[in-house]
Amino acid sequence: MQAKREYVYQALTDAEVLKRCIPGCEKLEQTGENTFATTLKAGVGAIKGVFNGNVKLEDMQQPSHYRIVVDGKGQPGFVKGAGDFDLEEQDGATLIKFVGDVQVGGTLANVGQRMIQGAAKMMATQFFTSLEAEAQATEKEEPPPKHGFFRTALRWLSGILRRVFKKN
Amino acid sequence: MIATQFDYLAPKTIDEAVALLSEHGDNAKVLAGGHSLIPAMKLRLAQPALVIDIGRIKDLSYINEDGTSISIGAMTTHYEIESSDLLKRICPLLPECAATIGDVQVRNKGTIGGSVAHADPAADWPAAILALGAEMNVVSSGWERAIKAEDFFVDMLTTALEPGEILREIRISLPQGRFGQSYMKVHQPASGFAIVGVAVSLTRNDDGTCMSASIGITGVASKAYRASGVENALVGQQLDEQTIASAASHATDGVDANSDLFASEDYRRHLAEVYTRRAIQTAAERAR
Repeated sequence: MQAKREYVYQALTDAEVLKRCIPGCEKLEQTGENTFATTLKAGVGAIKGVFNGNVKLEDMQQPSHYRIVVDGKGQPGFVKGAGDFDLEEQDGATLIKFVGDVQVGGTLANVGQRMIQGAAKMMATQFFTSLEAEAQATEKEEPPPKHGFFRTALRWLSGILRRVFKKN
Repeated sequence: MIATQFDYLAPKTIDEAVALLSEHGDNAKVLAGGHSLIPAMKLRLAQPALVIDIGRIKDLSYINEDGTSISIGAMTTHYEIESSDLLKRICPLLPECAATIGDVQVRNKGTIGGSVAHADPAADWPAAILALGAEMNVVSSGWERAIKAEDFFVDMLTTALEPGEILREIRISLPQGRFGQSYMKVHQPASGFAIVGVAVSLTRNDDGTCMSASIGITGVASKAYRASGVENALVGQQLDEQTIASAASHATDGVDANSDLFASEDYRRHLAEVYTRRAIQTAAERAR
Protein backbone atom coordinates (compact mmCIF):
# COMPACT_ATOMS: atom_id res chain seq x y z
CA MET A 1 0.00 0.00 0.00
CA GLN A 2 1.29 3.44 -0.97
CA ALA A 3 1.18 5.02 2.48
CA LYS A 4 3.40 5.39 5.56
CA ARG A 5 3.30 2.56 8.06
CA GLU A 6 2.24 4.79 10.96
CA TYR A 7 -0.69 6.01 8.93
CA VAL A 8 -1.72 2.51 7.83
CA TYR A 9 -1.59 1.23 11.39
CA GLN A 10 -3.67 4.11 12.63
CA ALA A 11 -6.19 3.68 9.84
CA LEU A 12 -6.49 -0.06 10.38
CA THR A 13 -7.33 0.50 14.03
CA ASP A 14 -9.55 3.57 13.60
CA ALA A 15 -13.26 2.81 13.78
CA GLU A 16 -14.22 5.72 11.53
CA VAL A 17 -11.77 4.82 8.79
CA LEU A 18 -12.64 1.13 8.98
CA LYS A 19 -16.31 1.90 8.78
CA ARG A 20 -15.78 3.82 5.56
CA CYS A 21 -13.53 1.16 4.02
CA ILE A 22 -15.15 -2.16 4.96
CA PRO A 23 -17.53 -3.03 2.13
CA GLY A 24 -21.13 -2.96 3.35
CA CYS A 25 -20.29 -1.76 6.88
CA GLU A 26 -23.34 0.01 8.27
CA LYS A 27 -22.31 0.35 11.89
CA LEU A 28 -19.02 0.13 13.74
CA GLU A 29 -19.16 1.41 17.30
CA GLN A 30 -16.52 1.32 19.95
CA THR A 31 -17.86 -0.63 22.94
CA GLY A 32 -14.73 -0.75 25.05
CA GLU A 33 -11.00 -0.42 24.79
CA ASN A 34 -10.23 -2.06 21.45
CA THR A 35 -13.63 -3.72 21.14
CA PHE A 36 -16.25 -2.79 18.59
CA ALA A 37 -19.80 -3.78 17.69
CA THR A 38 -20.59 -3.92 14.02
CA THR A 39 -23.40 -4.39 11.53
CA LEU A 40 -22.32 -5.55 8.12
CA LYS A 41 -24.42 -5.81 4.99
CA ALA A 42 -22.13 -8.12 3.10
CA GLY A 43 -22.55 -9.90 -0.17
CA VAL A 44 -21.84 -10.20 -3.86
CA GLY A 45 -24.28 -9.91 -6.71
CA ALA A 46 -27.72 -11.18 -5.79
CA ILE A 47 -26.48 -12.89 -2.64
CA LYS A 48 -26.58 -10.61 0.40
CA GLY A 49 -26.80 -11.02 4.12
CA VAL A 50 -26.80 -8.86 7.23
CA PHE A 51 -24.39 -9.78 10.00
CA ASN A 52 -24.14 -8.47 13.56
CA GLY A 53 -20.98 -9.07 15.43
CA ASN A 54 -18.13 -8.11 17.66
CA VAL A 55 -14.60 -7.19 16.71
CA LYS A 56 -11.73 -7.24 19.17
CA LEU A 57 -8.19 -6.02 18.62
CA GLU A 58 -5.47 -7.75 20.65
CA ASP A 59 -1.71 -7.90 21.06
CA MET A 60 -1.31 -4.37 19.74
CA GLN A 61 2.31 -3.41 18.98
CA GLN A 62 2.18 -0.08 17.25
CA PRO A 63 3.03 0.32 14.42
CA SER A 64 3.87 -3.20 13.30
CA HIS A 65 1.42 -5.79 14.57
CA TYR A 66 -2.01 -6.55 15.96
CA ARG A 67 -4.43 -9.43 16.10
CA ILE A 68 -8.08 -9.16 15.15
CA VAL A 69 -10.80 -11.45 16.49
CA VAL A 70 -14.19 -11.45 14.81
CA ASP A 71 -17.37 -13.13 15.92
CA GLY A 72 -20.49 -12.50 13.89
CA LYS A 73 -23.95 -13.91 13.43
CA GLY A 74 -26.46 -13.19 10.75
CA GLN A 75 -29.51 -14.47 8.99
CA PRO A 76 -27.51 -16.59 6.50
CA GLY A 77 -25.10 -18.11 9.02
CA PHE A 78 -22.26 -17.30 11.36
CA VAL A 79 -18.70 -16.14 10.88
CA LYS A 80 -15.95 -16.66 13.43
CA GLY A 81 -12.33 -15.97 12.96
CA ALA A 82 -9.05 -14.43 13.95
CA GLY A 83 -6.10 -13.09 12.07
CA ASP A 84 -2.78 -11.36 12.45
CA PHE A 85 -1.88 -8.12 10.73
CA ASP A 86 1.83 -7.47 10.23
CA LEU A 87 2.94 -4.18 8.72
CA GLU A 88 6.38 -3.79 7.17
CA GLU A 89 7.97 -0.65 5.83
CA GLN A 90 9.24 -0.70 2.25
CA ASP A 91 10.62 2.51 0.72
CA GLY A 92 7.90 4.71 2.15
CA ALA A 93 5.19 2.24 1.28
CA THR A 94 3.71 -0.37 3.61
CA LEU A 95 3.53 -4.08 3.07
CA ILE A 96 0.51 -5.54 4.84
CA LYS A 97 0.66 -9.20 5.69
CA PHE A 98 -2.52 -10.80 6.88
CA VAL A 99 -2.79 -14.39 7.97
CA GLY A 100 -6.14 -15.48 9.28
CA ASP A 101 -8.40 -18.39 9.89
CA VAL A 102 -12.12 -17.99 9.42
CA GLN A 103 -14.91 -20.43 10.15
CA VAL A 104 -18.25 -20.03 8.43
CA GLY A 105 -21.37 -21.97 9.36
CA GLY A 106 -25.10 -22.17 8.74
CA THR A 107 -26.97 -21.91 5.43
CA LEU A 108 -24.16 -19.82 3.99
CA ALA A 109 -21.65 -22.60 4.53
CA ASN A 110 -23.95 -25.38 3.40
CA VAL A 111 -24.85 -23.92 0.04
CA GLY A 112 -22.26 -21.24 -0.49
CA GLN A 113 -19.17 -23.20 0.42
CA ARG A 114 -17.72 -23.12 -3.07
CA MET A 115 -18.03 -19.33 -3.21
CA ILE A 116 -16.90 -18.27 0.24
CA GLN A 117 -13.22 -18.08 -0.62
CA GLY A 118 -13.90 -16.00 -3.72
CA ALA A 119 -16.24 -13.67 -1.86
CA ALA A 120 -13.69 -13.16 0.91
CA LYS A 121 -10.97 -12.31 -1.61
CA MET A 122 -13.27 -9.89 -3.38
CA MET A 123 -14.20 -8.07 -0.17
CA ALA A 124 -10.57 -7.92 0.94
CA THR A 125 -9.60 -6.33 -2.38
CA GLN A 126 -12.38 -3.74 -2.08
CA PHE A 127 -11.34 -2.98 1.49
CA PHE A 128 -7.67 -2.40 0.70
CA THR A 129 -8.47 -0.38 -2.42
CA SER A 130 -10.61 2.06 -0.49
CA LEU A 131 -8.14 2.16 2.39
CA GLU A 132 -5.40 3.15 -0.04
CA ALA A 133 -7.60 5.83 -1.59
CA GLU A 134 -8.29 7.15 1.90
CA ALA A 135 -4.58 7.15 2.75
CA GLN A 136 -3.71 9.08 -0.38
CA ALA A 137 -6.47 11.61 0.19
CA THR A 138 -5.18 12.18 3.73
CA GLU A 139 -1.51 12.43 2.79
CA LYS A 140 -2.28 15.17 0.31
CA GLU A 141 -3.63 17.16 3.20
CA GLU A 142 -0.42 16.99 5.21
CA PRO A 143 1.31 20.36 5.46
CA PRO A 144 2.83 21.33 2.12
CA PRO A 145 5.72 23.85 2.29
CA LYS A 146 3.74 27.06 1.90
CA HIS A 147 0.31 28.42 2.41
CA GLY A 148 -1.26 29.47 -0.79
CA PHE A 149 -3.76 28.96 -3.44
CA PHE A 150 -2.55 25.45 -4.23
CA ARG A 151 -3.07 24.23 -0.71
CA THR A 152 -6.54 25.70 -0.45
CA ALA A 153 -7.43 24.05 -3.71
CA LEU A 154 -6.14 20.71 -2.48
CA ARG A 155 -8.06 21.03 0.77
CA TRP A 156 -11.19 21.80 -1.11
CA LEU A 157 -10.68 18.88 -3.46
CA SER A 158 -9.91 16.32 -0.77
CA GLY A 159 -12.88 17.57 1.23
CA ILE A 160 -15.13 16.84 -1.71
CA LEU A 161 -13.47 13.49 -2.24
CA ARG A 162 -13.98 12.52 1.35
CA ARG A 163 -17.60 13.51 1.29
CA VAL A 164 -18.05 11.36 -1.79
CA PHE A 165 -16.40 8.40 -0.08
CA LYS A 166 -18.52 8.86 3.02
CA LYS A 167 -21.68 8.71 0.98
CA ASN A 168 -20.62 5.37 -0.38
CA MET B 1 -37.42 -22.63 3.35
CA ILE B 2 -39.84 -19.98 2.19
CA ALA B 3 -38.65 -16.69 0.75
CA THR B 4 -39.20 -13.44 2.63
CA GLN B 5 -42.07 -11.32 1.41
CA PHE B 6 -41.53 -9.57 -1.90
CA ASP B 7 -43.51 -7.74 -4.59
CA TYR B 8 -43.86 -9.27 -8.02
CA LEU B 9 -44.29 -7.48 -11.33
CA ALA B 10 -44.41 -9.04 -14.78
CA PRO B 11 -43.97 -6.34 -17.42
CA LYS B 12 -45.11 -7.08 -20.97
CA THR B 13 -42.32 -5.23 -22.76
CA ILE B 14 -38.60 -4.78 -22.25
CA ASP B 15 -39.07 -0.99 -22.06
CA GLU B 16 -41.44 -1.41 -19.12
CA ALA B 17 -38.97 -3.78 -17.49
CA VAL B 18 -36.01 -1.39 -17.70
CA ALA B 19 -38.21 1.49 -16.49
CA LEU B 20 -39.21 -0.56 -13.44
CA LEU B 21 -35.62 -1.56 -12.83
CA SER B 22 -34.31 2.00 -12.94
CA GLU B 23 -37.17 3.14 -10.70
CA HIS B 24 -36.58 0.53 -7.99
CA GLY B 25 -32.80 0.24 -8.30
CA ASP B 26 -31.01 -1.97 -5.83
CA ASN B 27 -34.21 -3.28 -4.24
CA ALA B 28 -35.31 -5.03 -7.42
CA LYS B 29 -33.99 -8.19 -9.06
CA VAL B 30 -34.74 -9.39 -12.57
CA LEU B 31 -36.18 -12.89 -12.76
CA ALA B 32 -35.37 -14.86 -15.93
CA GLY B 33 -35.65 -18.66 -15.65
CA GLY B 34 -35.38 -18.45 -11.87
CA HIS B 35 -32.94 -21.31 -11.39
CA SER B 36 -30.41 -19.26 -9.48
CA LEU B 37 -32.48 -16.44 -8.01
CA ILE B 38 -35.37 -18.52 -6.64
CA PRO B 39 -33.17 -21.02 -4.72
CA ALA B 40 -31.17 -18.09 -3.31
CA MET B 41 -34.41 -16.39 -2.24
CA LYS B 42 -35.76 -19.57 -0.65
CA LEU B 43 -32.57 -19.90 1.35
CA ARG B 44 -32.94 -16.19 2.15
CA LEU B 45 -29.51 -15.52 0.80
CA ALA B 46 -31.19 -13.06 -1.55
CA GLN B 47 -34.04 -10.88 -0.29
CA PRO B 48 -35.09 -8.52 -3.06
CA ALA B 49 -38.07 -6.29 -2.23
CA LEU B 50 -39.28 -6.54 -5.83
CA VAL B 51 -38.96 -9.29 -8.41
CA ILE B 52 -39.33 -8.18 -12.03
CA ASP B 53 -40.28 -11.24 -14.06
CA ILE B 54 -39.17 -10.81 -17.68
CA GLY B 55 -40.64 -14.20 -18.61
CA ARG B 56 -43.84 -12.63 -19.95
CA ILE B 57 -42.03 -10.40 -22.41
CA LYS B 58 -42.54 -11.64 -25.94
CA ASP B 59 -39.65 -11.89 -28.37
CA LEU B 60 -36.87 -12.52 -25.89
CA SER B 61 -36.60 -16.18 -26.78
CA TYR B 62 -35.17 -16.91 -30.22
CA ILE B 63 -32.20 -18.30 -32.13
CA ASN B 64 -31.49 -16.44 -35.38
CA GLU B 65 -28.77 -16.56 -38.01
CA ASP B 66 -28.18 -13.94 -40.70
CA GLY B 67 -25.21 -15.36 -42.60
CA THR B 68 -22.53 -13.60 -40.55
CA SER B 69 -23.71 -13.90 -36.97
CA ILE B 70 -25.95 -15.81 -34.61
CA SER B 71 -28.22 -13.99 -32.19
CA ILE B 72 -29.80 -15.66 -29.20
CA GLY B 73 -32.48 -14.00 -27.09
CA ALA B 74 -31.70 -13.77 -23.39
CA MET B 75 -34.77 -15.80 -22.39
CA THR B 76 -33.87 -18.75 -24.63
CA THR B 77 -33.76 -21.83 -22.41
CA HIS B 78 -30.81 -24.19 -22.16
CA TYR B 79 -33.02 -26.90 -23.65
CA GLU B 80 -33.95 -24.80 -26.69
CA ILE B 81 -30.25 -24.34 -27.40
CA GLU B 82 -29.41 -27.98 -26.66
CA SER B 83 -32.05 -29.18 -29.15
CA SER B 84 -31.53 -26.57 -31.88
CA ASP B 85 -30.70 -28.27 -35.18
CA LEU B 86 -29.56 -24.94 -36.58
CA LEU B 87 -26.99 -24.50 -33.80
CA LYS B 88 -25.83 -28.11 -34.01
CA ARG B 89 -24.93 -27.35 -37.61
CA ILE B 90 -23.43 -23.86 -37.41
CA CYS B 91 -22.12 -23.58 -33.84
CA PRO B 92 -22.15 -26.99 -32.12
CA LEU B 93 -20.33 -25.70 -29.03
CA LEU B 94 -23.55 -24.08 -27.80
CA PRO B 95 -25.76 -27.23 -27.83
CA GLU B 96 -22.87 -29.28 -26.48
CA CYS B 97 -22.42 -26.89 -23.57
CA ALA B 98 -26.17 -26.63 -22.94
CA ALA B 99 -26.49 -30.41 -22.68
CA THR B 100 -24.12 -30.50 -19.69
CA ILE B 101 -26.00 -27.93 -17.58
CA GLY B 102 -27.69 -29.12 -14.38
CA ASP B 103 -30.53 -31.57 -14.96
CA VAL B 104 -33.59 -31.73 -17.24
CA GLN B 105 -35.69 -29.40 -15.07
CA VAL B 106 -32.94 -26.80 -14.94
CA ARG B 107 -32.46 -26.98 -18.71
CA ASN B 108 -36.19 -26.69 -19.35
CA LYS B 109 -36.61 -23.52 -17.31
CA GLY B 110 -33.16 -21.99 -16.96
CA THR B 111 -32.11 -19.43 -19.57
CA ILE B 112 -28.82 -18.48 -21.20
CA GLY B 113 -29.35 -14.81 -20.37
CA GLY B 114 -30.13 -15.52 -16.72
CA SER B 115 -27.05 -17.66 -16.34
CA VAL B 116 -24.76 -15.15 -18.04
CA ALA B 117 -26.12 -12.18 -16.09
CA HIS B 118 -25.87 -14.06 -12.78
CA ALA B 119 -22.22 -14.91 -13.55
CA ASP B 120 -21.88 -17.83 -11.20
CA PRO B 121 -18.14 -18.64 -11.11
CA ALA B 122 -18.91 -22.29 -11.93
CA ALA B 123 -21.63 -21.77 -14.56
CA ASP B 124 -21.03 -23.40 -17.95
CA TRP B 125 -22.15 -20.60 -20.31
CA PRO B 126 -19.43 -18.07 -19.47
CA ALA B 127 -16.75 -20.49 -20.76
CA ALA B 128 -18.56 -20.96 -24.08
CA ILE B 129 -19.40 -17.25 -24.37
CA LEU B 130 -15.71 -16.38 -23.92
CA ALA B 131 -14.47 -19.05 -26.33
CA LEU B 132 -16.90 -17.81 -28.98
CA GLY B 133 -15.99 -14.15 -28.44
CA ALA B 134 -19.67 -13.29 -27.99
CA GLU B 135 -21.11 -9.84 -27.48
CA MET B 136 -23.79 -9.08 -24.93
CA ASN B 137 -26.45 -6.70 -26.13
CA VAL B 138 -27.70 -4.73 -23.17
CA VAL B 139 -30.62 -2.31 -22.83
CA SER B 140 -31.50 0.33 -20.33
CA SER B 141 -34.03 3.16 -20.29
CA GLY B 142 -32.58 5.49 -22.86
CA TRP B 143 -29.65 3.57 -24.31
CA GLU B 144 -28.39 0.23 -25.44
CA ARG B 145 -24.85 -1.03 -25.83
CA ALA B 146 -22.81 -4.09 -26.64
CA ILE B 147 -20.34 -5.53 -24.15
CA LYS B 148 -17.58 -7.92 -25.24
CA ALA B 149 -17.38 -11.22 -23.41
CA GLU B 150 -13.93 -10.44 -21.99
CA ASP B 151 -15.23 -7.24 -20.45
CA PHE B 152 -18.54 -8.68 -19.32
CA PHE B 153 -17.45 -11.04 -16.54
CA VAL B 154 -15.93 -8.80 -13.89
CA ASP B 155 -15.73 -11.03 -10.83
CA MET B 156 -17.70 -13.61 -8.93
CA LEU B 157 -21.45 -12.93 -9.47
CA THR B 158 -20.45 -9.55 -10.85
CA THR B 159 -20.80 -8.42 -14.45
CA ALA B 160 -20.32 -5.22 -16.38
CA LEU B 161 -24.10 -4.71 -16.31
CA GLU B 162 -24.84 -1.31 -14.78
CA PRO B 163 -27.78 -0.88 -12.40
CA GLY B 164 -30.86 -0.47 -14.58
CA GLU B 165 -29.51 -2.53 -17.47
CA ILE B 166 -30.99 -5.79 -18.72
CA LEU B 167 -29.23 -8.30 -20.95
CA ARG B 168 -31.34 -8.68 -24.09
CA GLU B 169 -29.36 -10.69 -26.58
CA ILE B 170 -26.16 -12.65 -27.07
CA ARG B 171 -24.49 -12.24 -30.46
CA ILE B 172 -21.85 -14.56 -31.85
CA SER B 173 -19.90 -14.32 -35.11
CA LEU B 174 -20.55 -17.32 -37.28
CA PRO B 175 -17.58 -19.72 -37.16
CA GLN B 176 -15.92 -19.87 -40.59
CA GLY B 177 -13.60 -22.24 -42.46
CA ARG B 178 -12.25 -25.43 -40.95
CA PHE B 179 -13.45 -24.91 -37.42
CA GLY B 180 -13.71 -27.29 -34.50
CA GLN B 181 -15.30 -26.77 -31.10
CA SER B 182 -15.59 -28.68 -27.87
CA TYR B 183 -16.82 -28.31 -24.31
CA MET B 184 -15.62 -30.62 -21.57
CA LYS B 185 -16.32 -30.44 -17.89
CA VAL B 186 -15.98 -32.19 -14.57
CA HIS B 187 -19.26 -31.62 -12.81
CA GLN B 188 -19.99 -31.41 -9.16
CA PRO B 189 -22.13 -34.53 -8.58
CA ALA B 190 -24.87 -32.87 -6.53
CA SER B 191 -25.34 -29.53 -8.28
CA GLY B 192 -24.07 -30.30 -11.77
CA PHE B 193 -22.03 -27.09 -11.67
CA ALA B 194 -18.58 -27.19 -13.25
CA ILE B 195 -15.66 -27.92 -10.96
CA VAL B 196 -13.72 -27.30 -14.14
CA GLY B 197 -15.26 -26.56 -17.56
CA VAL B 198 -13.26 -25.88 -20.72
CA ALA B 199 -14.70 -24.53 -23.97
CA VAL B 200 -12.52 -24.55 -27.08
CA SER B 201 -13.17 -22.98 -30.46
CA LEU B 202 -10.39 -23.21 -33.04
CA THR B 203 -9.79 -23.00 -36.78
CA ARG B 204 -7.15 -24.75 -38.89
CA ASN B 205 -5.28 -23.69 -42.01
CA ASP B 206 -5.24 -25.90 -45.10
CA ASP B 207 -1.93 -27.42 -43.99
CA GLY B 208 -3.53 -28.44 -40.70
CA THR B 209 -1.79 -25.86 -38.52
CA CYS B 210 -3.83 -23.91 -36.03
CA MET B 211 -5.07 -20.59 -37.47
CA SER B 212 -6.86 -19.32 -34.39
CA ALA B 213 -7.80 -20.65 -30.99
CA SER B 214 -9.90 -19.26 -28.21
CA ILE B 215 -10.38 -21.03 -24.94
CA GLY B 216 -12.71 -20.19 -22.08
CA ILE B 217 -12.33 -21.84 -18.68
CA THR B 218 -14.94 -21.81 -15.92
CA GLY B 219 -15.13 -23.18 -12.38
CA VAL B 220 -11.44 -22.68 -11.65
CA ALA B 221 -11.27 -19.05 -10.56
CA SER B 222 -13.68 -16.44 -9.19
CA LYS B 223 -14.80 -15.82 -12.76
CA ALA B 224 -14.54 -17.54 -16.12
CA TYR B 225 -11.48 -16.44 -18.10
CA ARG B 226 -9.77 -16.68 -21.49
CA ALA B 227 -6.71 -18.94 -21.30
CA SER B 228 -4.53 -16.75 -23.51
CA GLY B 229 -1.34 -18.62 -22.58
CA VAL B 230 -2.81 -21.78 -24.08
CA GLU B 231 -4.12 -19.94 -27.14
CA ASN B 232 -0.74 -18.37 -27.92
CA ALA B 233 0.99 -21.74 -27.65
CA LEU B 234 -1.37 -23.21 -30.26
CA VAL B 235 -1.62 -20.58 -32.99
CA GLY B 236 0.62 -21.34 -35.98
CA GLN B 237 1.53 -24.80 -34.69
CA GLN B 238 0.72 -28.27 -35.94
CA LEU B 239 -1.91 -29.67 -33.58
CA ASP B 240 -0.06 -32.81 -32.56
CA GLU B 241 -0.29 -34.48 -29.20
CA GLN B 242 2.87 -32.91 -27.83
CA THR B 243 2.01 -29.34 -28.84
CA ILE B 244 -1.46 -29.68 -27.37
CA ALA B 245 -0.15 -31.13 -24.11
CA SER B 246 2.46 -28.44 -23.65
CA ALA B 247 -0.06 -25.70 -24.54
CA ALA B 248 -2.56 -27.11 -22.03
CA SER B 249 0.02 -26.80 -19.27
CA HIS B 250 -0.65 -23.02 -19.39
CA ALA B 251 -4.35 -23.49 -18.55
CA THR B 252 -4.15 -21.78 -15.17
CA ASP B 253 -1.25 -19.37 -15.78
CA GLY B 254 -1.66 -16.21 -13.75
CA VAL B 255 -4.94 -17.42 -12.27
CA ASP B 256 -5.87 -17.45 -8.60
CA ALA B 257 -7.48 -20.91 -8.42
CA ASN B 258 -10.36 -21.69 -6.06
CA SER B 259 -10.26 -24.31 -3.38
CA ASP B 260 -13.31 -25.90 -1.79
CA LEU B 261 -14.52 -29.18 -0.26
CA PHE B 262 -14.69 -30.91 -3.63
CA ALA B 263 -11.44 -29.84 -5.18
CA SER B 264 -8.32 -28.32 -3.69
CA GLU B 265 -6.45 -25.62 -5.56
CA ASP B 266 -3.82 -28.07 -6.86
CA TYR B 267 -6.41 -30.60 -7.96
CA ARG B 268 -8.37 -27.90 -9.78
CA ARG B 269 -5.25 -26.76 -11.62
CA HIS B 270 -4.54 -30.36 -12.56
CA LEU B 271 -8.09 -30.91 -13.80
CA ALA B 272 -7.96 -27.68 -15.79
CA GLU B 273 -4.82 -28.83 -17.58
CA VAL B 274 -6.15 -32.32 -18.34
CA TYR B 275 -9.54 -31.11 -19.55
CA THR B 276 -8.01 -28.31 -21.60
CA ARG B 277 -5.83 -30.91 -23.33
CA ARG B 278 -8.78 -33.20 -24.03
CA ALA B 279 -11.03 -30.38 -25.22
CA ILE B 280 -8.36 -29.09 -27.63
CA GLN B 281 -7.74 -32.60 -28.96
CA THR B 282 -11.44 -33.13 -29.59
CA ALA B 283 -11.88 -29.70 -31.21
CA ALA B 284 -8.83 -30.31 -33.42
CA GLU B 285 -10.21 -33.65 -34.60
CA ARG B 286 -13.54 -32.03 -35.39
CA ALA B 287 -11.78 -29.38 -37.48
CA ARG B 288 -10.37 -31.90 -39.91
